[in-house]
Amino acid sequence: MVLESFLSSVLEQTAPLLLAALAAMITQRANILNVAVEGMMLVAAFTAIAVGGATGNIWLAFFAGVLASVLASQLLSIMTLKFNADFVVAGLGINLLAGGATLFMLERLYNSPGGLRPISFPELWHVPAGSLAFLPVIGPVFEGQSIVVLLALLAVPLCWVFLYRTPVGSYLRAAGEDEHAARSAGIRVDRMKALAVTISGLLSGLAGVQLAMDKLQFFLPDMTAGRGFIGLAATLFGGGQPWMTAAAAFLFGIFGALGDRLQAFDIPSQFILMLPYAAALLGLTFARWRTVMRNRPAKITE
Amino acid sequence: MTAFNDFLRAVRAPLGAITLTLLLGFLLVMMITDQPVLAYRDLLLANFDSWSNFGLFLNRAMPLALIAIGITFAFRAGVFNVGGEGQLFAGAITTTMLGVALAGLPPVLLFPIVIIGGIAAGAFLGWIPGVLKVKLGVDEVVVTLMLNTIVLLFTSYLVNQVIRDTAAYGAVSQLVPKEIWLPSLPGVPKASSGILAAVVLAVVSWVVLFRTKWGAELRAAGTNLRYAEAIGIAAGRRVIGAMLVAGGCAGLAGALYVLGIGHRFEQNFSPDYGLVALTCALLARIHPIGALFTALFYALMLNGAAYMQISTDVPRSLVDLLTGLLVLLMTARVVISRRKA
Repeated sequence: MVLESFLSSVLEQTAPLLLAALAAMITQRANILNVAVEGMMLVAAFTAIAVGGATGNIWLAFFAGVLASVLASQLLSIMTLKFNADFVVAGLGINLLAGGATLFMLERLYNSPGGLRPISFPELWHVPAGSLAFLPVIGPVFEGQSIVVLLALLAVPLCWVFLYRTPVGSYLRAAGEDEHAARSAGIRVDRMKALAVTISGLLSGLAGVQLAMDKLQFFLPDMTAGRGFIGLAATLFGGGQPWMTAAAAFLFGIFGALGDRLQAFDIPSQFILMLPYAAALLGLTFARWRTVMRNRPAKITE
Repeated sequence: MTAFNDFLRAVRAPLGAITLTLLLGFLLVMMITDQPVLAYRDLLLANFDSWSNFGLFLNRAMPLALIAIGITFAFRAGVFNVGGEGQLFAGAITTTMLGVALAGLPPVLLFPIVIIGGIAAGAFLGWIPGVLKVKLGVDEVVVTLMLNTIVLLFTSYLVNQVIRDTAAYGAVSQLVPKEIWLPSLPGVPKASSGILAAVVLAVVSWVVLFRTKWGAELRAAGTNLRYAEAIGIAAGRRVIGAMLVAGGCAGLAGALYVLGIGHRFEQNFSPDYGLVALTCALLARIHPIGALFTALFYALMLNGAAYMQISTDVPRSLVDLLTGLLVLLMTARVVISRRKA
């Protein structure tokens, strides 16, 4: 029982991280360092709660949230690809804009700068309790998880198929690996980048929707709390490969779930929360160190 | 005359971005209040209504200006330093820890110790991404982003579990000894004299960057690292040096904040100074004296927003929204003009 409830909480913590990581991964493969995942998640979370609270319709809320994130990604793509803005600067701009605009609307429309908590909020579809009782361990872990968690798990193979088994996916990777070569081969590099940013917006939107709608059903300013950056860290840790990225996201999800539990012991929660960032930093450094060591010129013996 | 024309050309783009953002903001304000002119007057000018407002405005500008000046060095050396926030926090917490732990020392000794401690902590945090970039080619944006979160969590631990003032509300540390507080600016009671350090450093930085060999080498390393190395410049060391300066400036900002304004470490003392200072540096076209002015402009808006919220019903988060817009627009270039050229 303990194991199952732990695994269930790992899965729940991982889902938004996994989606954010895949969002950053797709753009990473098009050679874009996407720091805007965080802001796009925030926009999706706010829109989902606002629309869900106003209409009481769960699917309207779900799609509105994802759509808002995709629109934010289009803003990023127009500023960078059409108007040549720097990707990192514009991405940080999206984050600031998302934080500012959601706070502005909280203060202006809802008169509650502290957050938005609709009195009633429709439920996302969850795997019904007892429906998977025939599966030992795995059954209880999946029972009660929202549909977005399942979508997040499904997104990993989908991303893999897209990147490695479709022509568009290989164009996208080619555009990311060598822009000039790809252009001479007739690939429309800007279109590939725009596509990557759009997919990234879609996945970030799912991440934000899951974060706000699954269990909490409310919106807080800055409620994404760096998850977009953890996703980015997972992508870099996983070297931009779908399966490794997913594994890294799960690792960080385990740290998150552990953090909740270890607070009962004497370890300060801040150190647990640091783990994903420290792991990403060390992992990235180690990966670069190996590359540098492998590529160094052979030593001339005296 | 040509110098004046050069100056005009340099300020045209930043002024354009600022004007466009302020115009968009004005449209937004017009939609939500009957007194848009009053709202904008307060946003931009209420800082000058009284000496105390003016002092608070200078206090707001100090950390922004110092971090932005530091970031100028990083950018000129080709390093995208997003780590201002972490470096600022490292400086502030180190100054506070030293001040609280060594409270018994005579102020003449303690003051330099806490200042140098703050600068060193910030510089150390700048050194990490610098060295990783030069030696291993690790992307500095990622490293500084990760370090920011790590440092913020670490300071949160220190201030909550180690040096917390249990009598005070919220996550704040014990006070540093009164003897080492910075004096206020002569004539402006509420203003800390830390702003003077920013003004002096802006001028010094300009001289160092544009009138010394070290600065020229640093800029050469930033323009083209391999070329700089090929002509015999220790380019890698210049890049690391630039990051030490950038981190040191942010650390100094933290130290001066604690000594001059907060008098203790507060976990929420920064409205994202690091990122806003990055904005200031970019807006100033990576020029130290320009950065001083953009920092003053930003401080004007950040504090003005609070006055605007009191006098009209425009939420102060308008400024956060405008900042986002400005950052988004800032590096954008209209392509048509480039194609003609």
